[in-house]
Amino acid sequence: MRLLMKTAALVSLAPWTVPALAEQTPATGASPQGTEPSLSEQLDAAAGKPVPPSGVPPGTAPQVASRGFFQSLNPDISVIATGAVGFSQRAPLLLSGDDPDLKGSLTEPAAGITLQELEVAFQSIVDPYFRADVFLTIPNLSGLEIEEAFLTTTSLPEIQIKAGIFRSAFGRQNGMHLHVQDFVQRPLINAAYLGFDGLRPPGVQVSWLLPLPFFVQLIGEVFSVPLPDTSAPSGTFQPLPSFGGGKRTDLTYAGELKFFVPPSESLSILGGLNFATGLSPGLTSGATTSYAGARTLLYGADLYFKYKPPNQAVTYFSLAWTTEYFVRTIGSTATDNGFTDGGIYTQLVMQFARRWFLGLRQDLLGIPSSELQPRISRTTLDLTFYPSEFSKLRGSVGYEVPDSQAARIQELALPHVNSFAAYLQFEVAIGAHGAHKF
Amino acid sequence: MKRTSALMMLWFAVVAPRASAEDRLNVVTTIETLADLSQRVGGDKVAVQSLSHGYQDPHYVEAKPSLTIALNRADVLVRVGLDLEIGWLPVLVTESRNGRIQPGQIGDIETSTFIEVLDIPTTQVTRAMGDIHPRGNPHFWIPPVNALRIAKGIMERFQQLRPGDKDYFQAQFDKFLADLKSKATHWDAEAKPLAGLKVVTYHKSWTYVSKWLKLQEVSYVEIKPGIPPSPDHLLRLISLMKAEKVSAVLMEDYYNRSIAEEVASRTGAKLVPMPSDVGARPEIKTYFDLVDTVLGNLTRVIR
Repeated sequence: MRLLMKTAALVSLAPWTVPALAEQTPATGASPQGTEPSLSEQLDAAAGKPVPPSGVPPGTAPQVASRGFFQSLNPDISVIATGAVGFSQRAPLLLSGDDPDLKGSLTEPAAGITLQELEVAFQSIVDPYFRADVFLTIPNLSGLEIEEAFLTTTSLPEIQIKAGIFRSAFGRQNGMHLHVQDFVQRPLINAAYLGFDGLRPPGVQVSWLLPLPFFVQLIGEVFSVPLPDTSAPSGTFQPLPSFGGGKRTDLTYAGELKFFVPPSESLSILGGLNFATGLSPGLTSGATTSYAGARTLLYGADLYFKYKPPNQAVTYFSLAWTTEYFVRTIGSTATDNGFTDGGIYTQLVMQFARRWFLGLRQDLLGIPSSELQPRISRTTLDLTFYPSEFSKLRGSVGYEVPDSQAARIQELALPHVNSFAAYLQFEVAIGAHGAHKF
Repeated sequence: MKRTSALMMLWFAVVAPRASAEDRLNVVTTIETLADLSQRVGGDKVAVQSLSHGYQDPHYVEAKPSLTIALNRADVLVRVGLDLEIGWLPVLVTESRNGRIQPGQIGDIETSTFIEVLDIPTTQVTRAMGDIHPRGNPHFWIPPVNALRIAKGIMERFQQLRPGDKDYFQAQFDKFLADLKSKATHWDAEAKPLAGLKVVTYHKSWTYVSKWLKLQEVSYVEIKPGIPPSPDHLLRLISLMKAEKVSAVLMEDYYNRSIAEEVASRTGAKLVPMPSDVGARPEIKTYFDLVDTVLGNLTRVIR
């Protein structure tokens, strides 16, 4: 994954240093020969060895102690703003919380401008044992939310504990913030199976780095998923929520296995196997709620394959291929029969110049399909330009094709069954934002 | 809380004995030059591994999970500092679950604290200047005096970590000092005719070398780090280079050469690709090879 919003800097260089250097140069260039200590004498001085009294003029000994550093002890603070301009023939059937929301309906075209997300991050080391990260978000001007706020242990051997509100390690995209996404919208499977905001409820995570010569991590998580808002506005498509049902004692559990293999220096393979279980709050349609309290078993597999030569002098080219598959089994309840459905996406992102990326993604929901989750296909093409590490301009076109024969699609009476959408996204990051995982 | 104290017990029971039981110090460095210096000072009392290779841009190492394995097992992390590795190292150190090398711990060695830092901005820094290092220039490890100061700092930390081997590390350091001094006369002789040589560098990353060799840095190709130079800047640069009769354009091996090649060819200056780290080229296996190659490349410009 491209480390997009890091605070990395290249070299210390400011335009004002150039004239300053040019002025200084005659003085340094014309320093008189002979008075200069030899390298050998300078080395002795640096090593703290006794040197001939005449050898080294004062001031050539290490002056490290005299250097101060401005201390603030404030956490690193950063703000990331993502704006979007878009047009769609109708609203997308499934929306993630931080997808651009043009406030359209399923029956009318929509065009508009939105602040897709404003993220504010505070990140700091707490003490020798913990670090803390807080990410506040305002998606689509909807109000301030806690995207994540968690503690991480830094000193437990092999084990790491994360506690608070955090994005679950389930799958690859769920853990990522909007600004590290390669596309304008999140994959459809995230909204369909992990919920509008993804899986990021209050919880505790324990991860274990296995004592092996290669990277294998085992992760266990337990969450209190809040009850999702299931009162669907009429005329919109609502997926069956996977988690958040049952009593307050019914927790959601997740487990993940992640592995990393680098077959060569240019090639990286990161994979994951994921499992989560909890109770579904059910789907309300009119006056009836179905599948309330049904046991959800969600399985996932993800694979990330990246080719990037380590030396930019050879090429800027890189290629990243990501595929994730989710399959879900909903248990039977007293009134409803259980079923299985699933979905997949696969995406290819190619860097073809220093600051240019081209991406193609295919989403396919309903593999297998169910009565509640019909087949929905979405094809997206993205072109991204990074003026610098801290800003980004992205154009996107997408075409959504639901299964027009499916009962849940037919009942929506869509004037445009297939829908075209186009977005232009602009993003800036200010402040010091921590680096991101691979 | 009862749970917390149980956690603490676990901490002391598992971490503390592990750190002192192992024989050789496990040293992980961010760049290969620091690996070479650590090895020289640590001798056979240390096992050294570098996270990046000399042919990589140390700002943009990918934070591959495989690197967390090395950090997980490290007793000591030797890094450059001054935010050089900020784009990839902090996330790996957190992921490493290794309390010994967390920032501020005795196993965390930031080598920039051992040298005299140059290019510390004296006015307000903004990112309109490009992706700059606000705490000073981190490309400091090539001049011999700096390498020696780094080695001395590493030695002193090794001595704190392994008080029983204090004299051994001191002897290793003294040997390095003697090795450097045996090359010093030769390097002085090579450096002398380079004084005053007018150069343009790709980034402002050769400040320390220029100060050591008294090179005259006239300007820079990519003047705002991370942002490709504008045509305006390149035109100004080309006329400045012609007026100043600049002889060489220096750039690290790991940058793309196309723009610098264009600038050099339009001004008659020589494009000199420069290794900036041990391992930058297959033949540069030690710190001494690195300095010899840097001096050799510059000497060829004036011949």
